[in-house]
Amino acid sequence: MKNPLLPLKAVITEIKLETKDVKTYSLFLENSSYSAKPGQFNMIGYPGAGEAPISLSSIVSDGRFQHTVRAVGRVTEFIERFGKGDEIYLRGPYGSCWPLEDALGRDVILVAGGVGVAPLRPVIQEILNKRESFGKVTLIYGSRSPDSILFMDEIDVWRKDIEVLLTVDEVRPHIKWEYDVGFVTGLIDKATLDPVKTFAFICGPEIMMLFVSRGLYLRGFFPSRVYVSLERRMKCGIAHCGHCQHGSKFVCKDGPVFLYSEVTKLPDGLL
Amino acid sequence: MTGESVFRSSNFLIPKDSFFNFIDALKSEYQIFGPVKERNQAVFKELSSSADLFMEYQTTMLSPGKMFIYKPTEDILKFRTGSTLSVEEVIPEIGKQVIVGIHPCDLNAILYLDRTFLGTFVDPYYKARRENTILIGLNCIQVSENCFCSSVGAGPHLRAQSGYDMVLTDFSEDYLVELKSSRASEIFKVKGKEAGPDEWKLKSVKEETLLKSFKKVIDITGIDDLFMRNLDHPVWVTTADERCLSCSNCVMVCPTCFCYDIVDEMSMNLKEIKRFRQIDACQDLRFAEVHGGNYRLRRASRLRQFVIHNLNYTGQYGATKTVGCGRCITWCPTKIDLTDIAKEIQRSPVH
Repeated sequence: MKNPLLPLKAVITEIKLETKDVKTYSLFLENSSYSAKPGQFNMIGYPGAGEAPISLSSIVSDGRFQHTVRAVGRVTEFIERFGKGDEIYLRGPYGSCWPLEDALGRDVILVAGGVGVAPLRPVIQEILNKRESFGKVTLIYGSRSPDSILFMDEIDVWRKDIEVLLTVDEVRPHIKWEYDVGFVTGLIDKATLDPVKTFAFICGPEIMMLFVSRGLYLRGFFPSRVYVSLERRMKCGIAHCGHCQHGSKFVCKDGPVFLYSEVTKLPDGLL
Repeated sequence: MTGESVFRSSNFLIPKDSFFNFIDALKSEYQIFGPVKERNQAVFKELSSSADLFMEYQTTMLSPGKMFIYKPTEDILKFRTGSTLSVEEVIPEIGKQVIVGIHPCDLNAILYLDRTFLGTFVDPYYKARRENTILIGLNCIQVSENCFCSSVGAGPHLRAQSGYDMVLTDFSEDYLVELKSSRASEIFKVKGKEAGPDEWKLKSVKEETLLKSFKKVIDITGIDDLFMRNLDHPVWVTTADERCLSCSNCVMVCPTCFCYDIVDEMSMNLKEIKRFRQIDACQDLRFAEVHGGNYRLRRASRLRQFVIHNLNYTGQYGATKTVGCGRCITWCPTKIDLTDIAKEIQRSPVH
């Protein structure tokens, strides 16, 4: 019987430094039928350091995919020391995905905060691959400062096909910044959206997702089309270890992508 | 779990001695666990013979399911360092075992653990032990101070019809033995009187008498909604701040608490890394901690998690997690009682 706790060995084929503490790791799983949908995550780690749940930051093609990781915990700080050619251990993919198929033929608004843009990047890639299948697509992306914006070089490419609105919390003197300053909620008011035909996918700090979801509700979005992705402590990823439970939900299995309306009333800091 | 719903139960009245002889005969092939008297308590442990059995026991501290099927700690993987790192699955050697004398609450607890570990994802360690374990239930003959199984449908007599092998009912000199799986009828060759209407009548009289002696009763109808409307009820903060020590005793003795932590441990010579799991507790401060926050920083929210998860959350598996064994009440150093908390909210809901 297949042991769901047994990890696979993946090779790091490339590492890109995104910001001073965020890196994008390109991984390759040999001889693998591995596939994942946008929004799903892997338990990634290394023996001795443990495992942590990290969303894929790219779509998968022929066993190749990416993770964009901020080094902030035991596992992620350990992995940060790795180089090209090193091996990493992972299992997955786990969890629910952004409902892109439901959004076919509709408008989509993506709202990202900080490193929360990473789980939305596969959505953008998938949309760009079949751009004509979707209506108006808008990415609203907020971060702390201009130098913490991820995927800046790609954003310039994305702009050709989708609308991108950027904002940061603050800009220090003498730093060049030609976009907005302020919360992402401010940008939502600026965007031209048709609430009746738009799906919203939101990923970022919980407080941001709360205000964005409420803001979209107020603009007339259908609650059945406003999705968020949650971050929780997880040890197993397979609805056994119990750490990510809220109410009757296992965030690892029933989520991490939820309708905002599904989780808003659950106890303990859920939005 | 064994898919025996088509199995037709057969039922016999067997002299107790014959039953104990049957247990002793199993010893050549099985490791046998059962309730044994130790000082003023009963504990589940391996029997040297059926003479060790203490079948009139009251609730033990630890449930057999979380001792012999879902292990408190379990090695899962071994990594060897060297020129290349190798991964090895640790598959425990599991012999055939019998657990005899399991009270209905604890048997229902095993059926509950099945929902976690044999659900969407199957845990191979749990599954291997579960399949190699013959479960012999024992309907209760007395009600302990903190028992409330009757309020949640988990006792004092076992209602479940499958997922275990046999269940006994004490008939003074005899046991009424109900065989509930085909493997039970294969191994149980004891000749006895087939149970008829008289026996079933006596059995239900016994259960009805017992049902009257419960001191702890709670009506859980509508409790899910009530809890969700009263997440800010003062009873959570009051109980947590004044009495809860976050010691996790409640979780440790709970027969259905399934949460675990996974730990990597490097050997002293740096040649081997052991990945093992161990029971974790939602009462621990770090349980729900993530980078940049802790979803259950407050003691009240951790206490609430335990209470609500046990009495409600029927949405999770379509059954209450609690089996009404009362262990979390008995072993709480400050005698926090989840049924008291629930009743307080029922008595004076804030919403």
